[in-house]
Amino acid sequence: MRFWTLLRRDVLVAWRKKSGLYQPLVFQLLVVTMFPLGLGAGAQTLAKISPAVVWILALLSTLITFEHLFKDDYEDGSMDLYYLSDMSLPMAVLAKAMAHWITTGIPVILFAPIIGMLLHLPNQSFGILLLSLALATPIFSLLGAVGSALTMNLRNGGMLISVLVLPLMSPVLIFGAGAVLESTLGNSAQGHLLMLLGCLVLAISLAPVTTAAAIRINLE
Amino acid sequence: MNRIVKFYHELGSPPSFYRITQHWLKPMLLLAVLLGVYGLVEGLFFAPKDYQQGDSYRIIFVHVPAAWMSLFIYLGMGIAGIMTFVWRMKVAEAVMMASVPIGALFTAITLLTGMLWGKPMWGTYWDWDARMTSELILLFLYLGVMGIYSAYDEDPRKAARLASLVAIIGLVMLPIIRYSVVWWTSIHQGSSISLMGGASGIQDWSMLRPLLVMALATKFYYIYVLLKRAQTYLMKTEQNKQWVKNVVSPHGAQEVSS
Repeated sequence: MRFWTLLRRDVLVAWRKKSGLYQPLVFQLLVVTMFPLGLGAGAQTLAKISPAVVWILALLSTLITFEHLFKDDYEDGSMDLYYLSDMSLPMAVLAKAMAHWITTGIPVILFAPIIGMLLHLPNQSFGILLLSLALATPIFSLLGAVGSALTMNLRNGGMLISVLVLPLMSPVLIFGAGAVLESTLGNSAQGHLLMLLGCLVLAISLAPVTTAAAIRINLE
Repeated sequence: MNRIVKFYHELGSPPSFYRITQHWLKPMLLLAVLLGVYGLVEGLFFAPKDYQQGDSYRIIFVHVPAAWMSLFIYLGMGIAGIMTFVWRMKVAEAVMMASVPIGALFTAITLLTGMLWGKPMWGTYWDWDARMTSELILLFLYLGVMGIYSAYDEDPRKAARLASLVAIIGLVMLPIIRYSVVWWTSIHQGSSISLMGGASGIQDWSMLRPLLVMALATKFYYIYVLLKRAQTYLMKTEQNKQWVKNVVSPHGAQEVSS
């Protein structure tokens, strides 16, 4: 019960704030404009790099949202209340990560086809792109929760979050961008997607516990 | 059995850790220097040339032991991290944080020597193959542990506990990262040594010997620097304790007490 209350509260806060919802998308749009400017607008060049670029943009635009995942709650004292309440901390973390996914992950998934279109991603790959991002964006939110909890009482932890989280995300990027790449070449992406699913299961089971441990250390 | 348990508990207390390891420092340094000089001289001057790579293969006498150490130290750091996290042992904390810069250094050496070797062999300093990439990610993991520790510099114990968490996460993730990176096709040659004596490994004992000697030398070097750094770490974090004062100025402390 508390799980859903916390989830709803977080989604509502993000919805009222708005900036968190569209910031990643504006970021993606800005950066994707730079690619043709730097590479030349040749459709073939762009199509070749499009799986990687769409994926890296999704990753980086989520990365910029991590810093405030726990920081605001830590600063206004809500974090202490989660800690003191009889709700288990990993469940609270899971609720917050899920709210982050709903407010950041879903817009990123929905926006990815537009980015793909701008980069001339081959038509047959859009389905796999959506599927791979749907599997991977929850992993982003969960790993981001770990990084965010580790740095929640630092004044400028943004850079540190990248150092902590990006190496952990490299498998996700390999399998995710790999899946889209395979589909552009006309191959089956099933293996990559299954590996992504495995990563997701692992992240759901381990990340909340780890995040909760980091929060406990930070609140001591 | 009792003595081992007692020894273990003694190692867990900073003053006796300092006292016990103080006796180990010199032999470790001596072994590291002797074996290192022997291994390097034999490896660089006396080991036979490789029939394919000529003299440039000789960089493996530095490269391969450093690569082994970069992973070995990560494992050590992770285990010390688990001990820090679970039992909050100060000595484990010191061992973990002392391991990080040494491991990062060996990782950097591995990358640099690999690049130098890659230029004549592959015609390029850098290629995004599986081992180079995972070694680079390993360096990032080390930097992450260092980064989180230095970010919380006002509270070293909390910093160490958070750093231990990062180390544990890294330890869990390392195999996943490693195997996901191996997914790519690799142009790196296969392992130089396999315990089963595979056909592709080094067969010649006069090539293998300096390599193994160097592997031992780097181990002893690691133990020496580790103990020295752990001692310094403990003295710094416990600077107000009496044992540190006794160590730093044995005579001054006696005057105060008398």
